[in-house]
Amino acid sequence: MSLRLVPFADPGVPDTRSGLRLILWLEHQQLRGQLAAVGWGLLYFGGIAASPVAVGLAVQAVIDKSWSRLMLAGGLLLVFGAAKSAADSYFHRAVVTNWISTASRLQQLLFRKASELGSLLTRRIAAGEVVAVSSGDVEKIGWFVEVLGRFAAALLTCFTVVVGLLFYEPQLGLVVAVAVPVLAFSILPLMGPAERRADAQRAKGGRATELAADTVAGLRVLRGIGGEQLFLDRYRAASQEYRASAVHSARMWSLIAALQVLFFGLFLVVVVWLGVRLVVAGRISVGELVTTYGFITFMLVPLHTFEETASAFIFSKVSARRAARVLSLQRMDETRGTGAAQVPEGDLVDPVSGLEVPAGSFTAVVCGNPDAGGRLADHLGGHSPEAEPGDASAMLDGVALDDLPLESARTAVLVQDKDPVLLSGTVRELFDVPSSGAVTVERALEAAQCADILDVLRQSLPAGGPDDPMDAVLTERGRSLSGGQRQRVALARSLYVDPAVLVLDEPTSAVDAHTEARIADGLRALRAGRTTVVFTSSPLMLDRADRVVFVPDGRVAAVGVHHELVHTDRHYRAVVTREDEPTFEESA
Amino acid sequence: MKRPEYDPAAPQEAARLPVAGPATVKSYLKTLFRRHRAAFGWLTAVNAIAALSGMVGPWLLGTVVEKLSVGEHDVNLPYVVLGFLVALAVQTVFVRITRLRGAVLGEEMLADLREDFLVRSVALPPGVLERAGTGDLLSRITTDVDRLSHAMRDAVPQLTIAVVWAGLLIGALVVTAPELAVAIVIAAPILIIGGRWYFRRAPSAYRSEAAGYAAVASALAETVDAGRTVESHRLGARRIKLGDTRIGQWVAWERYTLFLRMILFPVINMTHAVALAAVLMVGGALSIQGWITVGALTTGALYIQMLVEPVNMMIRWYDELQVAQVSLARLVGVREIEAAANGDEDEPEGRTVLADEVRFGYLEGRDVLHGVTLTVEPGARVALVGPSGAGKSTLGRLLAGIYSPRAGDVTLGGAALGKMSAEQVRTHVALVNQEHHVFVGTMRDNLLLARPGATDAELWDALRSVDAHAWVAGFEHGLDTEVGSGGTTLTPAQAQQVALARLVLADPHTLVLDEATSLMDPRAARNLERSLAGVLEGRTVVAIAHRLHTAHDADVIAVVEDGRIVELGGHDDLVDANGPYAALWHSWHGDR
Repeated sequence: MSLRLVPFADPGVPDTRSGLRLILWLEHQQLRGQLAAVGWGLLYFGGIAASPVAVGLAVQAVIDKSWSRLMLAGGLLLVFGAAKSAADSYFHRAVVTNWISTASRLQQLLFRKASELGSLLTRRIAAGEVVAVSSGDVEKIGWFVEVLGRFAAALLTCFTVVVGLLFYEPQLGLVVAVAVPVLAFSILPLMGPAERRADAQRAKGGRATELAADTVAGLRVLRGIGGEQLFLDRYRAASQEYRASAVHSARMWSLIAALQVLFFGLFLVVVVWLGVRLVVAGRISVGELVTTYGFITFMLVPLHTFEETASAFIFSKVSARRAARVLSLQRMDETRGTGAAQVPEGDLVDPVSGLEVPAGSFTAVVCGNPDAGGRLADHLGGHSPEAEPGDASAMLDGVALDDLPLESARTAVLVQDKDPVLLSGTVRELFDVPSSGAVTVERALEAAQCADILDVLRQSLPAGGPDDPMDAVLTERGRSLSGGQRQRVALARSLYVDPAVLVLDEPTSAVDAHTEARIADGLRALRAGRTTVVFTSSPLMLDRADRVVFVPDGRVAAVGVHHELVHTDRHYRAVVTREDEPTFEESA
Repeated sequence: MKRPEYDPAAPQEAARLPVAGPATVKSYLKTLFRRHRAAFGWLTAVNAIAALSGMVGPWLLGTVVEKLSVGEHDVNLPYVVLGFLVALAVQTVFVRITRLRGAVLGEEMLADLREDFLVRSVALPPGVLERAGTGDLLSRITTDVDRLSHAMRDAVPQLTIAVVWAGLLIGALVVTAPELAVAIVIAAPILIIGGRWYFRRAPSAYRSEAAGYAAVASALAETVDAGRTVESHRLGARRIKLGDTRIGQWVAWERYTLFLRMILFPVINMTHAVALAAVLMVGGALSIQGWITVGALTTGALYIQMLVEPVNMMIRWYDELQVAQVSLARLVGVREIEAAANGDEDEPEGRTVLADEVRFGYLEGRDVLHGVTLTVEPGARVALVGPSGAGKSTLGRLLAGIYSPRAGDVTLGGAALGKMSAEQVRTHVALVNQEHHVFVGTMRDNLLLARPGATDAELWDALRSVDAHAWVAGFEHGLDTEVGSGGTTLTPAQAQQVALARLVLADPHTLVLDEATSLMDPRAARNLERSLAGVLEGRTVVAIAHRLHTAHDADVIAVVEDGRIVELGGHDDLVDANGPYAALWHSWHGDR
């Protein structure tokens, strides 16, 4: 198993029935790597275990004043050292490869799941849960999958050493055979409390970081209005609480460390006591006593591996369960999309609201209620995330969009929701979306009035590099831009896609009046001949639409053009201009 | 093997805030060390006892081997075992104390660092914050503090322990038999040469590796967060491909650091093997010649083997420390920003805000405002309108004293606003923008920040004047209700009302409103405008208007285009003048 294969061409289909099954499945995928780890591990542990033999040999040679055996011992030490050294490197490589492969496979599976579920994912499970799997759980699951290889190698080595000792010197062998499992499990009872303290420490740390991040995020407010000292004091208190809980946790860990020293030391004392008596009794040589002492110190390495396996198991149980839950989510509406994979073009009709959008028109829809508007916009695209079974689908050219495969429905109609997300990356990457190819990025940016944003982006480029704003980097969710700027860039992206039907839900709500008027003109010109539906209540946008449809309570109430409706329909006028507006009670 | 070409840790944006140079970092570290000198001393002392007691065992074994080797069978075994046990007891106790002292020291330094950073951050000039945004600061207080926590919590105490331990072991070896120290002279060059090679490459490689892994997780988090957009724009296949690319980039760095360790591990292992072989060969030869005893040889060989652990600790934690240096430079960098103003500013006389021939730009040689003159009389309502990028917001920030003009003057009652400290400016002028940050904490905390020491009655009055008392009173715990992330979630409209209530409490006589209501939910807009009216009552207001009805009500409308005021006057005057404002007004109003 080589890292050159990562990322995998196909990460496979995981067994997500439970956390344990997921781990077993991952283990199975990594079988060859695990065998390599066990093989190298045996050689490595063997190398460490063999050095004490050479040391004992050397000491005995000195006692016997044998130059030839001293030379032999020296040679053996270097040979064992070289073997151990090579085995250590390759063992480490096998182990790390197992970890990386497992972590990569899980991340790849998560990416595939997130892309498959799209808008449904966050409705089914908290976004934070998925992120927790990716940023924390993957690491722990990979650790457990990886540590099993080392565990197997350590166990085999210990077994061999104990059996060897039993044959060589039954008394010593018996002591070691009893001591190893006792030592391996001696500190386990303390792991629970230590973990709880560590959890408490993490919680306090999270709280302190949260307060710091919160204070910094609101820093402009604090500097503008005041209250810095108040928030500083509060953070100091949280930070000191965090420090105290970390020390509290360290008390337990230091106790564990001390007990490890104590237990192991006692083991060593017993072995020395026994060994000296055996030498006195003439059963073993002085050199063999030194060898035995070295053997025992060697046992520390596999002992630590046993302890690590136990903690890895404790840590990864919850992680594996959570990962299995995320990976087992399925999209339910796919079963509906059984129609032919075609992309219809023509009039868009919604049987539920009675909304009709003639092909090629620039239609504005006024709802008066943003939530209802959002739902209607979603419904127009088919496969709405809020769709209830039994809802009548929107029809495009007489074809029910809900019955089309998801991909076809999304190709036919692009619904840009109220809060379109700008994915981080360069501007060029942002515009790497499936499109008709008929509209250039430049034209789309121009129509959405983005010139000033490109200027700002150009200035954010590192000095001395390229001067093209398309190379500028947008941070996550476009946070470096203002709300109005984000809206304009998102609009440009949708215009660039150039779908046959484009549904825009309040695309300019955060844009100033001057710019909005220009955008409305640009939109109209760019979309000439294509079907465009804009949900808005801005007169500047409505004034430029071919048709305005008023849908106050989920049903079409009036159809016309803005300057007529505004004079003829009192209710409509009230919604679009905010003068002498009736309250909602009156309008309902 | 070569370093991967793509470096996820390379900066993609021009650094927004300064990063400290080596000299600043060094002097900061010195201060930090001096502050904790006593704790370092303690740690060294208890650690020395722990290490020394750990050396008793091999020494006792050496004496036993010595006696046995000459055929003397009376080794006083009970005393030897007792010696072992006493040493073990001391070692156990002092290992405990050392670990604990190390943790206490690490945690104290870490707390100092993060608190120092926040102290500096909250003193940054508002102009710096406006320009740099808070994103960079946020990543420093989260990511960099997190990275440093490994260094402070583990690396610094562990390295201190390892250095003391290794030093004592070498000392003990010399005391046991000075001749055996030759082994170290033979083995050390291997480690020094290999280590130098490794440490020249490792720290930056580990930084890139960590950044690469973080990039995988953040690409996934974004895909999840942008689920709707990914679906509607059919980006699924591209996101999967991006995920694979990010994983590939990360793994490339994992392979590179693996390669570095594939070199380092044999270096370490061979150093240990050579040292041990050298001790036994040199010591063995000397011992056969009768120059040192077999006991000394055994003890020496065991000490050399014990040296493995502190040496490994040093190598392990040294690169953590190097990686942490970069984060430290970013944290300490904030100290290099000078506080903008000094305390000796003029007291303003009167409340007239005046911009006179103001020129201003964010970059040298590129002005955004080209000679703007505007008088805002006390109590006046001024609306700034114009297309995006024309300079409205910039002008608003100059009038609010956040930026100083490059040329010309912005004055309040005759005193230059740009020369006042933030603390001084905000008693007169406040900027109200879209940012309605609700702080994590109680409702009371969220209001008190504007007037520390205000009584509950005053807080309720403020809430009442912005129409927010009803919903706050409706909370089970009233002012003690926890809000912000993790607590009760406020609607955007409620958050906006909280922001307005703070203004009432802070009570500046002049307000600059920048898109204050532009992201407002239309359903809540009417209520909020009532709340806003309560705040504006009796104050001078400069409003950067997105919606024309805001402009309609103003005393003076300034139309800003290309960094200049192109039209100035009341609504009716401007409509009569039939210029750009009039055209927009007619379009908005549905007139033809």
